[in-house]
Amino acid sequence: MIRFDNVTKIYDQKTRPALDSISLEIDRGEFVFLVGASGSGKSTFLRLVLKEDHATGGIVYVAGQNVANISSWRVPKLRRGIGVVFQDFRLLPNKTVFANVAFAMQVIGKSRGIIRETVPEVLKTVGLEGKENRRPHELSGGEQQRVAIARAVVNKPGILLADEPTGNLDPTTSLGIMKVLDKINRNGTTVVMATHDDDIVNEMRKRVIELRNGVVLRDEAKALYTSMMPIIPAADSGSGRSAGAHK
Amino acid sequence: MRLAFILGEIGGGLRRNVSMVVSVILVTFVSLTFVGTAGMLQMQINQMKGYWYDKVQVAVFLCVDTSTSPSCASGPATDEQKKNIETLLDSAAVKPYVTSWAYESQADALKHFKEQFANSPIVDSVSADQLPASFRVNMVNPEKYQIINETFSATPGVETVIDQRQLLEKLFSVMNIASLVAVGIAGLMIICAILLIATTIRLSAFSRRRETGIMRLVGASKAVIQLPFVLEGVIAAVIGAVLASGTVWAVAKFFIQDYLADQYKDTAFISANQVLILTPGLLVLGILLAGISSLLTLRKYLKV
Repeated sequence: MIRFDNVTKIYDQKTRPALDSISLEIDRGEFVFLVGASGSGKSTFLRLVLKEDHATGGIVYVAGQNVANISSWRVPKLRRGIGVVFQDFRLLPNKTVFANVAFAMQVIGKSRGIIRETVPEVLKTVGLEGKENRRPHELSGGEQQRVAIARAVVNKPGILLADEPTGNLDPTTSLGIMKVLDKINRNGTTVVMATHDDDIVNEMRKRVIELRNGVVLRDEAKALYTSMMPIIPAADSGSGRSAGAHK
Repeated sequence: MRLAFILGEIGGGLRRNVSMVVSVILVTFVSLTFVGTAGMLQMQINQMKGYWYDKVQVAVFLCVDTSTSPSCASGPATDEQKKNIETLLDSAAVKPYVTSWAYESQADALKHFKEQFANSPIVDSVSADQLPASFRVNMVNPEKYQIINETFSATPGVETVIDQRQLLEKLFSVMNIASLVAVGIAGLMIICAILLIATTIRLSAFSRRRETGIMRLVGASKAVIQLPFVLEGVIAAVIGAVLASGTVWAVAKFFIQDYLADQYKDTAFISANQVLILTPGLLVLGILLAGISSLLTLRKYLKV
């Protein structure tokens, strides 16, 4: 579903690359945690998938397409196939819950009938039945994030990108959000979630891709937040790079 | 659905930005009024040209006692000299250019003079022998005045040859300058309007960056994201253009048609309805102004 082939992203020639020649593949229906410290390249990864930025080197494939070959007027079509959730929810404060979710359908020209039918269904999936007419400020953080998730998946995208969706939430609420994401994943949507939340990663036991300074440090199935593998102090290039970063 | 949605967005944008929208309306209104005024002046010039050029004549003035020109050295024009001019006017060299000619005697000249200056005390001090007799020549093509001038200006008994059209040209050149000034002011105001529209759109895009950000993420097309902004500018400009057309029409109706035409009955003035031809032009200009400046602004501030 998402494939990176030796992808490099350099924002500024003078500093190190945000992503340094990384290669990885995420299959349809997978649930992947993207972990790593701030500045490790998680957000850059997500931006490249969305074609918000273009890679400096290498090729990014999304749903089988090389995104570099997607012309600018067809970028909206690519983004319709990708839902995005953020740490800060990004809801429209003057619209109700229903209108916030419906907005995502209105702007791509869905008919009123389909919107009336789909939005309540999605709100039920994320556990917000009965709150259609509330405004964002009347909701708790967890509920606001559920609205954001509902908006991200209402157009049935194949991929859901979540950039620290639980970053502003307490552990219990976060767990609720994870249940929703898991449910969406089990319905067939590929989920890529960038996070710092070790409890959640340890709880879920999904594939973990750890980035550090723009390179893939590890990529393990059913993994924990911290690596279980001992770091071998050998003179190979991988450990040399990470040792350099500690200075 | 999509149309209703876009209309809703436009309504919201206009409401949120009322003061800026009003200023865009006013600036386009003023600038297009100047454009319309320039257009109206040009129409008036054409109208007067059409009206006067049919009537203007070339006047061949004959010598009188007080004439000073060298061809009048022998004193007032004699009957023989008059006969000579008449023959020349009917000769093969001149006849093809002339539709008709008439002789205006000194007595006729005095009569016309008295009519023209009926309210002036100068009338009493003028006698017939002070006014020159003349041949009034109507030309097939008034532009060919030079032929009459060459033929008659050196003829004995002719004091001078005057093309009345030249007198009108002075008037027209004044009107042309006025319309150029109007165009100049219009140009400045249009630059103002373009910059103001650009600023308005930028503010509007900034105050709605949340919405547009979400639209981008869920894959709204460029048209759906940008159209509300472009149409906001266009709607404001169209309102300005309609006001400008109305003002130009009102000036034509109440000032030119009802006042000037009434005061100067022998002059051809444009009618208010003729001025309505300018309306589509002003509308198109307003739409172009707003459309182009908003597209340029959005390219910079609202990337998709």
